[in-house]
Amino acid sequence: MTAPTSIKVRALSKWFGSWCALQGVSVDIEGGACTVLCGPSGSGKSTFLRCLNGLEEWQAGEIEIGGIAVGDRPRALTRLRRDVGMVFQSFNLFPHLSVLDNVTLAPRRLLHRRRKDAEEQAMRLLQRVGVARQADKLPAGLSGGQKQRVAIARALAMEPKVLLFDEPTSALDPESVKEVLDVMIELAKGGTTMVVVTHEMGFARRVASRVVFMDKGRIVETAAPDAFFTCPCSDRAKSFLADISPS
Amino acid sequence: MHAPSSSRLTPSRVLAAARAYPFSTLLTIGLLYVALWLSWHIVDWAFIAATWQAEDRAGCNPDGACWAFILNRLPQFTFGFYPEAERWRACIVLLAPPALLLLAMAPDFKGRRWVIAGGFIAYPLASLALLSGGWLGLTHVPSDQWGGLLLTMIVGIGAFVLSFPLAILLALARLSKLPALRWLTIGFIDFWRGMPLVAVLFMSVIMLPLFLPPGYEISRLGLALTGLTLYSSAYLAEVIRGGLQSVGRGQTEAALALSFGFWRTQTYIVMPQALRAVLPGIVNSVIALFKDTTYVMIVGLFDLLNIVTAALSDARWLGLATEGYVFVGVIYWLLCFALSHVSSRLEAQQSRVIRQDRVLTGSTQ
Repeated sequence: MTAPTSIKVRALSKWFGSWCALQGVSVDIEGGACTVLCGPSGSGKSTFLRCLNGLEEWQAGEIEIGGIAVGDRPRALTRLRRDVGMVFQSFNLFPHLSVLDNVTLAPRRLLHRRRKDAEEQAMRLLQRVGVARQADKLPAGLSGGQKQRVAIARALAMEPKVLLFDEPTSALDPESVKEVLDVMIELAKGGTTMVVVTHEMGFARRVASRVVFMDKGRIVETAAPDAFFTCPCSDRAKSFLADISPS
Repeated sequence: MHAPSSSRLTPSRVLAAARAYPFSTLLTIGLLYVALWLSWHIVDWAFIAATWQAEDRAGCNPDGACWAFILNRLPQFTFGFYPEAERWRACIVLLAPPALLLLAMAPDFKGRRWVIAGGFIAYPLASLALLSGGWLGLTHVPSDQWGGLLLTMIVGIGAFVLSFPLAILLALARLSKLPALRWLTIGFIDFWRGMPLVAVLFMSVIMLPLFLPPGYEISRLGLALTGLTLYSSAYLAEVIRGGLQSVGRGQTEAALALSFGFWRTQTYIVMPQALRAVLPGIVNSVIALFKDTTYVMIVGLFDLLNIVTAALSDARWLGLATEGYVFVGVIYWLLCFALSHVSSRLEAQQSRVIRQDRVLTGSTQ
């Protein structure tokens, strides 16, 4: 087992036209642990996450994942993405492929695994996330929670060192949220580096090793979850927590 | 299908309806009369009074169709001036596409991918080699002896097979982030779409030789194929572009995040969905292309239409234009009908997938 992969971000800035989405964000993300990014909508947390695997371009600053700089050279970026899996809010499963093919496509085409090996691995993963019985269905035949769990299995099939979650439960009904969170909690215990953008504060409290609170394109506060939820330092975090807690 | 019993047609119901709507009833009876009168005349002309065997025009019943003319010339209409002893080669070329299509459409056939690849790459090359000969003891048959239905199929299938990959590349370039590439492609597409095919073919005959080194000649078949390919690739490219734009951005992002590069993303994820989404449009373009093959008469090729037209001036069979053009029309209609039937079969197979495309792209932002 190699050392867990950590992420280092220095002075990351990004503009959409004249709108500044990220204003010099610097943060160290611990390897082998789960970091939760939270904040009000429009705070730049999703944009930040999408910079980590180069889905968004940025104008200034540096990102290093496991000591390798994330750049804009396509080939190097493609290589780096092999180690960085991502799970999207809207699942983005491939609708023309069965669940099984969704999971095996990347290992077969990119890692040149044989079909039999890839399918064995995929069935193990689908079992792990609890959708093995749906393996031959098309994504359209699944519930939201099942789709998201297939998406997690698809990301895991490339055996990534880092997993990014972009609001994985925001498009789900309350029952499905639990299905997906249970899978993520199990993953976090397994020791993969995880960066999770979410509004599920219960999840953050339970498994996060650190909570990063963002607002208006800046990191306002970084703390252990206990400290963050019991007595946030900044006024902005205080009002955010007051707004989302259903008291 | 059984209509519910309450709306079943019984004589008493029909009579009641006829009394209630006298104008509709009159109109219905009038139209029925016209339809019957027309079909009777057509059937009488085409079958009852028709002559199927005769030596020349004089041997035909003047009140009916003279199909003897068509049957007499059928080999020529099918193969053009292809030497009689070598026509088995042309037969293979003509019978292979339906055979390949049937194979590709067989349900749950594992080798479908290979059949499609074979149809796109191996079949055109093999046909070209087989028809022109000059190897393994096959006599060489120059392409200006190919004609009739054979030539129509060669030009139609050839132009499609060449223009389809070209159209995919054009559609991708049209959506490229590189401005120079994008603008060049837009110019290319607009140029070919903006010109009448007739003008394209005239220009290929007159202008292309000016750009070639002296003594170098492209066969007329080559000229026609080039012109048709460029022309139809511009149309196909715009259809395919529509398909590409219908695939949600989330699909590309998911592929990129899995570390697919640009070409693999297109090949495995975007293109399969895009082509399925615009299948009816593609078939539409293919049918149009197939009918446009009749314009090759401009470069002096004898396709099915042109060879029939030429045969009309045969002194022994003068004045049979109706028979000739009805024959051509029926053949074209049959082939286009077969194409649209294949496409509706494919659509039925894919409708499940396409419906869920919508569901997914709908939920993406």
